[in-house]
Amino acid sequence: MSLWSKWRKRAPWILHYNAGSCNGCDIEILAALSPRYDLERFGVLNSGNPKQSDIFLVTGPVTYRSRERLIELYMQIPEPKVVVAVGACTATGGVFRGMYNVEDGIDRYIPVDVYVPGCAAGPQLIIDGVMEAVAIWEQKTQALEEPFRLFGGMGTIGEALSRRNTLEVKDEQNHREP
Amino acid sequence: MKKTVEIPLGSQHISLLEPIRFRFHCENEVIRDVDADVGFVHRGVEEACASRFEFKQVGYVVARVCGLCAITHSLGYTLAVEKLLHVETSMRIKYLRMLMVELDRIHSHMLCLAHTAENAGFEALFMQIMNERELVMDVQEALSGNRVQFDYISIGGVNRDLSAQAGALVLRNLSLLEPKIDELFERFTSNWSLSLKYRGIGALSLTQAYMYNTLGPLARAAGLETDVRLETNDFPYAQIGFEIITEQGGDIYARNLVRLREIKQSIKMVRHIIEGLPEGAIQEKTKGKPEGEAIVRIEAPRGELMYLVRGNKSSILERVRIKTPTFSGIPAMIEIFKGSNFADAPAILASFDPCMSCTAK
Repeated sequence: MSLWSKWRKRAPWILHYNAGSCNGCDIEILAALSPRYDLERFGVLNSGNPKQSDIFLVTGPVTYRSRERLIELYMQIPEPKVVVAVGACTATGGVFRGMYNVEDGIDRYIPVDVYVPGCAAGPQLIIDGVMEAVAIWEQKTQALEEPFRLFGGMGTIGEALSRRNTLEVKDEQNHREP
Repeated sequence: MKKTVEIPLGSQHISLLEPIRFRFHCENEVIRDVDADVGFVHRGVEEACASRFEFKQVGYVVARVCGLCAITHSLGYTLAVEKLLHVETSMRIKYLRMLMVELDRIHSHMLCLAHTAENAGFEALFMQIMNERELVMDVQEALSGNRVQFDYISIGGVNRDLSAQAGALVLRNLSLLEPKIDELFERFTSNWSLSLKYRGIGALSLTQAYMYNTLGPLARAAGLETDVRLETNDFPYAQIGFEIITEQGGDIYARNLVRLREIKQSIKMVRHIIEGLPEGAIQEKTKGKPEGEAIVRIEAPRGELMYLVRGNKSSILERVRIKTPTFSGIPAMIEIFKGSNFADAPAILASFDPCMSCTAK
């Protein structure tokens, strides 16, 4: 496992989903993948298949109809996974906040790890966001691969995976007496 | 027994920028029937424009209907409100607005060409076109301060003036871009493997184009002469050398050629705009509240964009209605899919340059 994860961290594949955005952030993601900004030099590949992806790039405030797809796609990505919210409207709803068919940001439905600001978010910011996502993804991988005690220890997989608890859980496990 | 097999495409797919769902009813390789579902990105912009925002803010809200043609949306709305407020803009403002619209057209057409190439399987060509597109994006950033959502147009004028430096940058970048467009033109017309994916595929005849009320490059590729820049006189397009561009055939190849030739023409027009830019203020004084009803038509990169604005002397408008070009193109799109191979579907779809966030609003 540890042998493979060494190479895996060099190839975070992304899944891109438009949950009701204006296209602005989507074309900036395409621009970030193109040769001028070249996100692909970090091993990032735009994959269309959630089951092969590691990083979930979401754009747009969630519309009423796209929320089911959003959760479905999120559930299909294998652990460990990282969610990057690209654009202002993904974080809060932005200019669309309060419109009747809009759910005001994706963190109402799925946990978000990195927020990328901007309307539309520039390619440089998107690259920064993805790189931060890779660091979080590595932490999550470590937390997932760390052995934990089934009986006695209360650390469950869910706790080990959540970003807030990652470091605390690790400390706890280090201090635990056998 | 049922002869056809149902194959879904979307709402999330690698070849799609935005959610749209198709259900292809295929008989072996051939598509027999299509159901399209375009409403995934409906946000309710029209309703919010008439209830939540003041009329001075709406110009920036409708820009968020679509990121690709943001400038045409805010321009369409602004023109309609200016008609209601009886504001006459100076020639310099008109020229600066035309400049941004034409730059937007160049980058939108290049994105469409790149996307069509990617969906037809030419990933290297996609990368090449996207790289060359950055020349235009740089110009837009220098002129308006943002790469995609410009927020350049305000009611009564524009928000930023064109400095001599920025003008020089525009001319320099466009002179770098022009030989690359020529090279692409050469490649699209004479490359054999590109012609396999583009020539004769997804063809729309002139009668069909007329019957299904297609607009923009789609109609012009089929030989239908329709261009709002020619039909309205809101902007002095004749002064800067605008001519209508049509092709014959209506297949993906013809659509690509129309887009390439329009890019070349937009480059020419931008040059004329910068050379002949009149002097004057960039902001006219406006006062009062909109009253009455105005309809404005603008040529967006994808075709005719129509705005209807109705006000009743209060700061919140009564109605804003947006009719977008892709909306009119959907019946023709469904007709073209019938009878073509399933393997060609992504390329045909990209060659339409569909904009779902425009359509669903």
